[in-house]
Amino acid sequence: MAGDVVKARFPRRLLIQIVATNIFRYLFRGAARNWFRNIGSAAPALSSMTLLLLLSGLVGLVGFALYNLETIQSAEASLLHVYVRDDARAADVDSLWDRLAADPRIASVTYTTRAEALARAQHMPGLPQLASATESNPFPASLDVRVKNINDVASIDRLVRYEIAVDPVYSTSYDRGAYQRIQAFLLGIAVAGLAFLGLLGFVAVTVTMNSIRAAIHSRRDEVTIMQLVGAPRWMVRGPFVIEGAITGAVAGIVVFGLTAAGIAAASTSFAQFAPGVTAAVAAFAAALVFATGLGLGSGSSLISVRRHLES
Amino acid sequence: MPSVLRPILEFAGVTRAYGSRLALDDVSLALEPGELAFLVGPSGAGKTTLLRLINREIRPSMGHVWVDGLAAHNIKASRVSALRRRVGVVFQDYKLLPRLTAMENVAFALQVGDLRVSDDEAKERALDALEAVGLGDRGDSFPHQLSGGQQQRVAVARAVVGQPPLLIADEPTGNLDVDTSWEMMDLFADIAAFGTTVLIATHNVEIVRRFQRRVITLVHGRLVRDQPAGRTGRMAWLATS
Repeated sequence: MAGDVVKARFPRRLLIQIVATNIFRYLFRGAARNWFRNIGSAAPALSSMTLLLLLSGLVGLVGFALYNLETIQSAEASLLHVYVRDDARAADVDSLWDRLAADPRIASVTYTTRAEALARAQHMPGLPQLASATESNPFPASLDVRVKNINDVASIDRLVRYEIAVDPVYSTSYDRGAYQRIQAFLLGIAVAGLAFLGLLGFVAVTVTMNSIRAAIHSRRDEVTIMQLVGAPRWMVRGPFVIEGAITGAVAGIVVFGLTAAGIAAASTSFAQFAPGVTAAVAAFAAALVFATGLGLGSGSSLISVRRHLES
Repeated sequence: MPSVLRPILEFAGVTRAYGSRLALDDVSLALEPGELAFLVGPSGAGKTTLLRLINREIRPSMGHVWVDGLAAHNIKASRVSALRRRVGVVFQDYKLLPRLTAMENVAFALQVGDLRVSDDEAKERALDALEAVGLGDRGDSFPHQLSGGQQQRVAVARAVVGQPPLLIADEPTGNLDVDTSWEMMDLFADIAAFGTTVLIATHNVEIVRRFQRRVITLVHGRLVRDQPAGRTGRMAWLATS
């Protein structure tokens, strides 16, 4: 009816669209534009971030491979070969076998003949030459004892070492320090790797923070105006945080690309030089590295913004 | 009959110290809606400190600052933007973004202060504001294509486009010639006439004397005189530095 005032709410969908458009424009598009405009000052941060992520990925994959290696070595170390003397009586061997099989600390006992030991040696690195160097078979028969807990290997070794059926010279395969040496070596590598990554991370974060500080400085007027006209704090800080995230993301994409190229070039040989590192594992590591880049870039920017952008 | 309007700006026993030096010392004052007042005093008297307290760029060491009902003295950091949307600010050096046109400078302030403002609305309101300051035909000009007076008008348009209840100006005529300064002051008077409270910090004795508005005089951080409108002639000497 003419003259009636119709009260209508502003359409919610349109409002959301307007807000989204403004956020996209002032936060994301503005950040991307400024990042490309100031790529010169972002380049050191980008380089150090790329290097950090690349090395992190490599160290991560090497660590994963070493972890798998350590698992294999651990399994090997829990297998005790009890070498049977050449002239041992079958009854003595059987007796020892039965006692070992009855021991609750032992998972299994199998007997390896001299011929089987020779055959096995011919598949082990370095041993085929030794196996073919003499016409006779130098490898003794053995009882292969799978110990449940690696810490019990030493006591099992003491138990069998002086048995009558056991070779008095080379009684078992037990090497007291071998496993500990491997563990110490791996621990050393892990500590050194983490320390190196920590140092590199510190450098990357510092360089990124400085590049954001430079960006803040170069846009000081814009920031001042935004603050004075009452732009919300997140809107003033947001573009800089996103710029840092872009730096991290671009670095992550570069690393992702390098990893993808590596996977394409050498997927079949991963297993040979790095046990357990399959193409899927490498792809997962690359995705993780990308996410890390995103987080590190935005995180270090946020620190910088909090430090340098407070009014 | 006494006024019953709530003051737009109120200082109650405000002290601001920088180390052992008092930039403001126990200042109390109130400005009502639509009032235009000059803030005068020699250099270092505390004028800029007072303006910065209004905009919550700094906090008072003691006392209370109320801006349109908001407690600027202890407002949370997350609420500062809400306070600043209630205060338009004009600077001596204009502070326009050089890569944006006059219209974009005004619209930018409107949109970053309120994300719900659409492009069309921002443009329309920005052009209205420019029209109001006499620059309706220069919306597409970049700051470097405008004179100092025109740039200051754009800055005023930007300050008032969000329709804040309070406008503060720090030496707004400091970079302008005499004629342009008068035009600028007329503009501030018009803004006040429409209900916006205007507080202008200035050294310009001539303007203060001729406008015959309220004059608040600071010396060494202390409010030494608060002359009501129409009785400003005798204190003009204090505005000289």
